[in-house]
Amino acid sequence: MKKTLTILLSITMTLGILLSACQTTTAIEEPEIVVDASNVQSGCVADYEVAVDYFPNKAEVEYAQGFRIEYYSNYKVLTVLQPWSGAEEPFSYVLVQCGTPAPENTDGALVVEVPIQSIVTMSTTYFPHLESFGKMDTLVGVDDTTYAYNETVQALASEEKIAIVGGGAGGGAVNVEALLDLAPDVIMTSASGIPDYDSHPKLIEAGLPVVINADYLENTPLGRAEWGKFIAAFYNLEAEAETLFTEVASRYQALTALTGSVSEKPSVFTNTDFQGSWYVPGGQSYAALLLKDAGASYFWADDSGTGSIPLSFEEVFDTAKEADFWLNVGFASDLSGLLAMDERYTEFKAFQTGDVFNYNKRANMNGGMDYFESGVANPDLILADLIAIFHPELLPEHEFVYYQQIQ
Amino acid sequence: MPEEVEKNKTLTRPLPPIRWWMFSLLFLGVLTAFTVSLALGSVDIPLNNVFRILTGQIADKGTWADIILIFRLPKTITAILVGAALSVSGLQMQTLFRNPLADPFILGVNSGASLGVALVILGFGTTGSLLLAGLGLFGDLSLAVAASLGAGAVLLLVLLIGRRVRSPITLLILGLMFGYATSAIVSLLIYFSLPERIQTYTTWSFGSFGGVTWSQLWVMVPVILIGLGISYFLPKSLNALLLGEEYARTMGLNIKSTRFWIILGASILAGTVTAFCGPIGFIGVAVPHLCRSLFNTSDHKVLLPAVTMMGAIVALLADVIAQLPGTQYILPINVVTSLFGAPFIVWVIIRQRRMKSTFAD
Repeated sequence: MKKTLTILLSITMTLGILLSACQTTTAIEEPEIVVDASNVQSGCVADYEVAVDYFPNKAEVEYAQGFRIEYYSNYKVLTVLQPWSGAEEPFSYVLVQCGTPAPENTDGALVVEVPIQSIVTMSTTYFPHLESFGKMDTLVGVDDTTYAYNETVQALASEEKIAIVGGGAGGGAVNVEALLDLAPDVIMTSASGIPDYDSHPKLIEAGLPVVINADYLENTPLGRAEWGKFIAAFYNLEAEAETLFTEVASRYQALTALTGSVSEKPSVFTNTDFQGSWYVPGGQSYAALLLKDAGASYFWADDSGTGSIPLSFEEVFDTAKEADFWLNVGFASDLSGLLAMDERYTEFKAFQTGDVFNYNKRANMNGGMDYFESGVANPDLILADLIAIFHPELLPEHEFVYYQQIQ
Repeated sequence: MPEEVEKNKTLTRPLPPIRWWMFSLLFLGVLTAFTVSLALGSVDIPLNNVFRILTGQIADKGTWADIILIFRLPKTITAILVGAALSVSGLQMQTLFRNPLADPFILGVNSGASLGVALVILGFGTTGSLLLAGLGLFGDLSLAVAASLGAGAVLLLVLLIGRRVRSPITLLILGLMFGYATSAIVSLLIYFSLPERIQTYTTWSFGSFGGVTWSQLWVMVPVILIGLGISYFLPKSLNALLLGEEYARTMGLNIKSTRFWIILGASILAGTVTAFCGPIGFIGVAVPHLCRSLFNTSDHKVLLPAVTMMGAIVALLADVIAQLPGTQYILPINVVTSLFGAPFIVWVIIRQRRMKSTFAD
């Protein structure tokens, strides 16, 4: 009897301590603390006051062309200006501080309470941002893990801690039922504007909180990386995102400045032929801008396009036969593999001198390349690799991250 | 009955001299198209330089010789082979099935090839193609090998089953079913594949002559010649088949063995083309009709050489247009053949009524 009482007592005491501990952690919800410190990073606001600015940390968009953030006292409006190439209307999202009232007229825009607790992603390019924000634990589902390089994601998937819901680029149709069951705070996806391929129309119809992220449409490396701020807005992590991005941007700028004075710019061409068609990146594309910033002379740099240009093999051959470097050769991992695709590749000078580099140093067993994943958030690392290829004397200590010379 | 008499007349009529003129014109056409195809491309090379390169002299610019010799020449030869092979194959299939819509791929040969290629591009990715390349024997033939294996497997099935079934209609339906089954697997692979790989596969399915290299031609030329050789032994049997299988049998034709050789020859031709150049549509259906109209006959002794040359011309011209001379861009072959060819064929066929006398039952 006495023993039981002691146990009961100790349980009550422990509970009491736990509860008080909870109270201390929820002290962050006090408005005055919010004002002094930073955005609310977990939980909700307990006592809403109209006069308080709940988002003292604001993101400023410098390079990205595709989105905009407007801050109000207790909510922010995220606008995706061009959700897909040729889209006629922007998409807006109203991010309301949890514990505060949503604005009355949202014009049909999706209202999301922030900070969010759970997210489902439909592109691998969001992983590096989530990881650097320390928010991988909010990832509850992904479209597909076949081509995901991120080790945390692979581990979570193999332990079945995240759901595989389809709907991304390589995951087949989206599993709406699984998503309804999962009920994430946000489903982030890219969109092409072709209804048959896109997941968002179905998800919107099902009333699911789908957010379109158009990072892949950015043509500048820094613009693409800046979409980290877009993701950060959902977690109220603007300050962290600003710091991280500023570091990336300043490193990128410093590297660009490094190549600004080089007198010799080696010539470069990219990609491979397939059955007589050779797609080369347009002069204003992401890939072309990286080559330019790395101090290389890209043959199609004067082209005004941001997409890719379909050329004939003979055209590329005529232009690039004597080029110094050949980059981004797709899935090939060695020179003999390249030769196996087309014996005429041996005619290129770069092939003969062995100056062929591919961005598949970090690839998973299915060929999913980290260049397209964490590379999007870290253009400075890509640029450093490229500079080490074209001007090794500028970065003598450099260790390659994404690129490797193929043998 | 009067129609049958009419057909008989057509078949026994001796070659009028105008035919020889037409054949000479066709041959001239092949030569012209061959030259134009070599001379035009996205890189501007003056005609005199083209001739100098072909005759082993030095050109004004170093890369030009390479462009002519390792890009345009294999591509032009490929176009000739493809045009001839598909037209002959299509002609035989149309006669065998007595169906004006029959094409070289009606028995599912290219569905098999597509499956082979889809497995390499979409299924295994690099591992698969490297696996095939790693076998050493094939070198740079991996895609072509995969396609040939797929086409060959379907051909074998069709031949095996063809020995057991009597009616060509049954074969037709079987071919259709093979097509459905294989395209279902291809769709499944596409469904679970990366966009870049799907694009690669789509590019393959658009067809191209430009991917064939000299070392591939060493395989392609003899195989196509074997296929054409088989077909050129068959005009009499094909003519007999036009009158219906029963009639052909009474004429002493061994239907089973004839059918075997027609299917074998036509499928070798179609399968090889698909293996090296992707599924190339239109030519195989259209060229036989075009030649029947132009030559106003159903006689295979005339039609076989006619479609061989006409097919080569059509393929060469399609390739010239696809290169969009003077621009940097190129178009897929299938787009060109269908877009430019279809209206022309419609015009020719509407003007003629040969179709009715060939295919009316």
